[in-house]
Amino acid sequence: MNAIFSWILILSSVFLLFSNPDLFLSSALNGSTKSASLCLALLSSYALWLGLIEVWEQSGIAKKLSALLKPIAKRIFQTQDNDALTAICMNLSVNMLGIGGAATPYGIQASKLLDKTPQAEYASSMLFVVNATSVQLIPTAIVGVRASLGSCAPADIILPSFLASAFSTALGMLIVWLVFRFKERHSTPFLPSPQHPRKKQGLFYKIKRAGTQ
Amino acid sequence: MNAIFSTVIPCIFLFSFLYALRKKVKVYEAFTDGAKGAIPLIMTVFPYIASVMILSELFSVSGLEEWTLTALRPLFSKIGVPEEITPLILMKPISGNGSIAILSDILTTYGADSYISRCACVTYGSAETMLYMGAVYFSGLKRKSLPLALAISLVCFFLSVIFGCFLCKIM
Repeated sequence: MNAIFSWILILSSVFLLFSNPDLFLSSALNGSTKSASLCLALLSSYALWLGLIEVWEQSGIAKKLSALLKPIAKRIFQTQDNDALTAICMNLSVNMLGIGGAATPYGIQASKLLDKTPQAEYASSMLFVVNATSVQLIPTAIVGVRASLGSCAPADIILPSFLASAFSTALGMLIVWLVFRFKERHSTPFLPSPQHPRKKQGLFYKIKRAGTQ
Repeated sequence: MNAIFSTVIPCIFLFSFLYALRKKVKVYEAFTDGAKGAIPLIMTVFPYIASVMILSELFSVSGLEEWTLTALRPLFSKIGVPEEITPLILMKPISGNGSIAILSDILTTYGADSYISRCACVTYGSAETMLYMGAVYFSGLKRKSLPLALAISLVCFFLSVIFGCFLCKIM
């Protein structure tokens, strides 16, 4: 992130230096003003959704909902941390319901909890990729925009949109899995241990062992 | 159809509160307790959002964005993506408001039912605003796996745009 940040900053400074140096400060401040107003909007949205989330937690809805998804999430995210799993499951189910506002707080909570576990990088990358390439069940906003601009069949975008976004999520999960499998192979040397049969020593088995040692 | 979708959120609130009342939860206390968490959350997230937004503003004002656009245009049309939607593809991971503006611009220019507009709609739906999400999700973490995760998401977004444009052609 440091490299990306510095390179874009350096390149755009050089560009501006030769085209319009006066714009530098004003546009940088403009960006920071935008971030302040975005944070204000986010603050109000988080206040609402975190309030509702607390009601879910205390009434036991969160536990019940996440119990359904937990077995799958355990396999996908390869973590044993119960609280993190609950947060992940709630993040996914809220996303499926289409309330993105409530999904983000759960996502942040999940990645914070995951940060303490040994295989954090894999799980939090997976969580981010699943969220960033989110599956669009029904793209309400787009259908609305199309309808308002005089489309004869505004809903005919639903199927291609769903297929394309499902494709990107599946592909993302696959790439994350492959990348971390590759990284794992090249970072820890293979250690033969007699008490464990060889076929059991897959990727995540090794990660777990590395974490417990 | 839209009428059904707009009832989802009120229904979720209604059922949550009814259920909570049945479980004898102190709803008001619980809700305020939860809302209290919004301020510390924003405080951890703000510096990351601020740096990302300053960066994206400089990126577009300096002409670096324009430069990337002209470099990418011919490349896109070669792989079956209409070059008219290049600005949308570049904007979508960066800014939600910016990309909805470009989307409606494309829809009005080329007609809501044209091939280009359908491709633009699929592009819009293929990803979230990744840059902001990345800043938020990875804020204050010890392990820095953001660039990798972001790169993977961007590649998937890009491939799904190609796939989506292909779908629009045959469907």
